[in-house]
Amino acid sequence: MRLIRSEFLKIRTTNVWWLFALGAFGLLLLAFAINALNMHFVLDQPAEMAEGMDPEGAAAMSALAEPVALTSYMVTSGQYFGLMFVMLLGIITVTNEYHHQTATTTFLATPQRTSVILAKAAVGGVFGVVLWLVTTAVTVPATAIFLNSENITPALGDWEVIRAILLNGLAYALWALIGIGIGVLIRSQIGATITAMVMYTVGTIAVSIIVNVLTNLLEWDWLANVQWAMPSLASNLMTSGADLPGQPSYWVGAVVLIAWALVTGLIGTLLTRTRDVS
Amino acid sequence: MTEHTVRMGNVITDGEIVVSGLAKHYKQVKAVDGLSFTIKPGRVTGFLGPNGAGKTTTLRMILNLVSPTAGTATIGGVRYADLAEPLQAVGAVLEASSAHKGRTGRNHLRVIAAAAGLPASRADEALELVGLTPAAKRKFKGYSLGMKQRLGIAAAMLGDPRVLILDEPANGLDPEGIRWMRDLLQKLAGEGRTILVSSHLLSEMELLADDVVIIAAGRLVAQGPVADVIGGAGNAGSVRVRTPHPDTLLAALDGVGSSNSEDGALVLTGVTAEQVGDAALRAGVAVHELVTERPDLERVFLDLTAGKEAIR
Repeated sequence: MRLIRSEFLKIRTTNVWWLFALGAFGLLLLAFAINALNMHFVLDQPAEMAEGMDPEGAAAMSALAEPVALTSYMVTSGQYFGLMFVMLLGIITVTNEYHHQTATTTFLATPQRTSVILAKAAVGGVFGVVLWLVTTAVTVPATAIFLNSENITPALGDWEVIRAILLNGLAYALWALIGIGIGVLIRSQIGATITAMVMYTVGTIAVSIIVNVLTNLLEWDWLANVQWAMPSLASNLMTSGADLPGQPSYWVGAVVLIAWALVTGLIGTLLTRTRDVS
Repeated sequence: MTEHTVRMGNVITDGEIVVSGLAKHYKQVKAVDGLSFTIKPGRVTGFLGPNGAGKTTTLRMILNLVSPTAGTATIGGVRYADLAEPLQAVGAVLEASSAHKGRTGRNHLRVIAAAAGLPASRADEALELVGLTPAAKRKFKGYSLGMKQRLGIAAAMLGDPRVLILDEPANGLDPEGIRWMRDLLQKLAGEGRTILVSSHLLSEMELLADDVVIIAAGRLVAQGPVADVIGGAGNAGSVRVRTPHPDTLLAALDGVGSSNSEDGALVLTGVTAEQVGDAALRAGVAVHELVTERPDLERVFLDLTAGKEAIR
């Protein structure tokens, strides 16, 4: 408990947390505005939009225009950047110790290094959940206002919408843990941050493309499932909250994310336990 | 919980540091190679050695930050990792720069206090102890090297430990700061605490330390009270005298070992300056210079560590 208080104090006594919160909040507003604009046009001219599309795309478009899907889509706005910020904060809480050489002080106060990492994971997870709560507190009323102005009754009480919100919260907590895991595995602040950012942004698209090309080329259908091992794609799968044809069930995404957090965290912790601090 | 603390308190009262057969071998280098020594409570012990001798590695092994290849290090009979309340048993000052640059000095101490289960008020008391109260709310990046050292000492004193371990604490301190630290460490040793200070500044150590442990190339070279180490190395005191009639003076002193120094003065051993002065008066020989030359730690240190490569 005292370790958790100490770790919480570490975050609170630097500028990082409010800079990140501010960044995440700004990008949330931006994301919501873009989503709202996008949906406005979809709802306004569905027929026109669908004309230039293949039937599949048109079907997806009209599925999205259903109140339940629409509400889910709007209330989880800002997820892309929110998860990224939570992951970065997780990375920084660990790599800061090496970057500022405070690992010495930390491990002198607590020679049980595993406990230190567990405390960091707990605090990171709480930060993720808090960011999710704040985000949701903004998106829920905003969604209600937006949908009402489009003359659609928001389906905020619908179980599917509530499940989407809850899975979104789970994603925020798990990405914080993945950040901690990456941090203990790659101690260098720059190294860990760049690795994570590349994986989160370019890596996601690259893996998608490579897997798709290989699948089509080799005609191995099972290969398409490999992409779900990528944490960002697994995250999308999980938060979709629905079982779409041709995709694994949404809980597979949750399992993949938990596995990432566990494997990186476990290897990192084992290394930290034996590694010399100098 | 209370019972636990009391038990630990009893064990650590002794506060003796015992290093036994300690070794750290890296791929190429034997940084520390079978080192054994004992540090007594109530005294300031200087831990000396040329740069690269393995001082820092040894201190970090005592503190469970670096894992030894072989051997053990205990504090009051317990390994650091097994101390129930490590910060209340041992305080350590290792690097001048080990705080988050954007955090204030006070918050830095509060973070440590929280981890050690100490009240936040201890942070203010520790700042007061090292004279940093005026800079408590300033960020660490604005601290001078001397202030960083003081903050490090404050962090070490948070738990009011019986044992204090400092790695090159004089680095970056101005003469006034060095004097302040010397007084503080001697006062703390006077309270019965164990003080272990590593340094390569020998003149400073001679003023500060009661005992010394000298290492070179990862091995023990000498250990004991400063006077014993200096005396034991064949460095008895000598008297330097300059006179126009050295032969007459030598005859008057009868059987005293002598040698000529480069500048033509006599260096006499086995006599005191008083005896030489009296003999000169009796012999009617003019004396132009008469000095007692005490061997110093630096001389002994250089003799003892000569031939051990500093860079390995």
